[in-house]
Amino acid sequence: MTIYTRLEQWKEQGVISPEQHALLAGLSRGEPFSLFLELNILLYAGIVAFVAGLGWTVTTWSQQLGDVLVLTVLSAMLAACFWYCFSRAPAWSRAEVPSPSLAFDYVLYLGSLTWSLELTYLENRFHLLSGQWDLYLWATAGLFFLLAYRFDNRFVLSLALSALAGWFGLTISHWQSHQDATYRQYAILYSVLIGGAGAILQRRGLKPHFLGTYLNIGANALFWAVLSGIFDRQDDVVWFPALLGACGASLAWGLARRQFSFVAYAAVYGYVGVSSILIRGMNGETAVLSYFVVTGVGMLVMLVLIARRFGREA
Amino acid sequence: MRAYEESSEEALRARDLLKDWAGEGLLTQAQYQRMEQETVCELRRTNVFLRLVLYLFTLIIVGAAAALFVEVFLSRPSEQETGLFLLVFAAISYGAAEFAVSRYRLYRYGIEEALATCSVGFLCAGLQATQPRGAEFPVPVAGAIASLWIWRRFGLPYAFPAAMIFVPWLAGYWTSSPAAEHLIVAAFYAVGLIAVAAVRSRHSVAEAFLWLGIYLAINLQLSPRNLLGNWWWGPRLTAEFSRPFYWTTWVLIWCLPPVVLARGVRLKDRWVIAVGAVAAILTLVTNKPYLGWPRHTWDPMLLGALLIAVALFLSRWLARGPSGIRHGFTARRLSGKDKQWMNAGAVGLGVLSAHSLTPSPQPDTPEFRPGGGDSGGGGASSDF
Repeated sequence: MTIYTRLEQWKEQGVISPEQHALLAGLSRGEPFSLFLELNILLYAGIVAFVAGLGWTVTTWSQQLGDVLVLTVLSAMLAACFWYCFSRAPAWSRAEVPSPSLAFDYVLYLGSLTWSLELTYLENRFHLLSGQWDLYLWATAGLFFLLAYRFDNRFVLSLALSALAGWFGLTISHWQSHQDATYRQYAILYSVLIGGAGAILQRRGLKPHFLGTYLNIGANALFWAVLSGIFDRQDDVVWFPALLGACGASLAWGLARRQFSFVAYAAVYGYVGVSSILIRGMNGETAVLSYFVVTGVGMLVMLVLIARRFGREA
Repeated sequence: MRAYEESSEEALRARDLLKDWAGEGLLTQAQYQRMEQETVCELRRTNVFLRLVLYLFTLIIVGAAAALFVEVFLSRPSEQETGLFLLVFAAISYGAAEFAVSRYRLYRYGIEEALATCSVGFLCAGLQATQPRGAEFPVPVAGAIASLWIWRRFGLPYAFPAAMIFVPWLAGYWTSSPAAEHLIVAAFYAVGLIAVAAVRSRHSVAEAFLWLGIYLAINLQLSPRNLLGNWWWGPRLTAEFSRPFYWTTWVLIWCLPPVVLARGVRLKDRWVIAVGAVAAILTLVTNKPYLGWPRHTWDPMLLGALLIAVALFLSRWLARGPSGIRHGFTARRLSGKDKQWMNAGAVGLGVLSAHSLTPSPQPDTPEFRPGGGDSGGGGASSDF
């Protein structure tokens, strides 16, 4: 029985109104056919290609073009983007606000990327902060967070979180005795910080739909840091419980909120980490292969049980 | 021939649509619950993340089990023996996939997909090991046929492009002429397209992949041989093709995208439209190398500006139609899935750019030197 036949039946049974029937039958036939996703992808690809070309051109021809021209063009673009966004933005709300137009989010994204480009140019040419890139990243992250929350834009929020991650990385690189262990600790601090901040903002009702972005990026950073500690083979006493804790938390969150990306993180990162520890002590290919067969079956059974209990719907 | 009844797949499609409509507020919760009860079917599905993880772990189990079997039961096996065991494993994997579907009614569950994938992999590896050197012709033939069978039997969309990948390998056995290889591959895909187009209502994704395959086969700048050559030795292409052939393909790469786009728009087929758009962008990107013209630093800017202009023009043109609809197309979002894709894209972007933005350890007195200008720019200095 096709969806059209079903809709006809439901209309005859009075489950849906004739108006609903007409609308839903049209939608299931692709009438009208929405090009929303295609147009968004086209705009995103266009912005990325444009900014990449702009950066390449500025980098290559800066001497011939001159600082004044480069900065004038970049500043004009920046001002135009931000003027467009501030003049057309709907009133701010703590809740999710739909974008006023298809182009709006991408104009803001273009402005944010232009800001990064201009800042890089300024520092490289004039050394305003004597190479203190961490300050630039800190300021950029702050600006992007403000823009993301003002205009309800997840792309700019991702840029803000990336700039913050860059700031953590650069800050450590200034230290005399920076080591991988220090990076790891700060990656964990970064994950905890953005995860906690996302949770607090969500609890306060401030753009609660951003929580998923915070948690996904935070979880990946956390798992990479913990796995890096395990691969270092020095402090298993610390990193193994940390891995188990992270996996447990990710699994619990994923199951409680039906967000199965977190279940997948727990399964894959956890399996890689635990396996790397256990395989170290094994001698011979037979033992290693047996390990993969036995543990693989165990994981499969557990995941099937989870899928049957929690994750039936596609 | 199909492992699933058409009615079951229709029921799943109906469930997906109902869920989407309820999420968009087109159905009340009471209506949704009532209608959902009438679309129950026996097939078992799971969500995309669990599907991916189940696929991964099934691959690990099957791969490790096969290796363990060879390790335990065969001491220093010859290639022939290994090949035979791989063929046995191919049969076992395929049988297990059939069993998982018929007994447990798994549908896009990861497990049966991984088993089917393993069966093709083992089949190709087994045949490769059992054939004498230089006579591996049956390998791509068997790989293509097995992939096509799995595509038809289990309806896995990615099995079709997997079958297509074997075709260029096949062409290499028939001719050593690069031009003839391109022609054979394009001809194979064209025949497939004619066959699929006749029953396209079910195989829209296959048609899209075939269009893409034909385009990639005729665009000489995108052939693996050329891409690899550019990577190692710098641009060099025209010498190995005759001038008429080379310039005919240049004409074709300009003709094909509008044809594909027009067909996609006429049929309202998302996949074919996407392939038409991708082919058009690839034509713009590869046009200069085709003509032997130098690239400029501002080329990506022009391409980006063009893409933005096209997107804005289309969205505004559509929005000005009655109720925001023209010729049955709209720029409005009608499905919650579009939003989910965009949110996933934003998160993915954040994860990827966080890795790329986090700098590597620097010397004690860091001197930041971005750019360099050594990747182009027509010989301009890199003083940035």
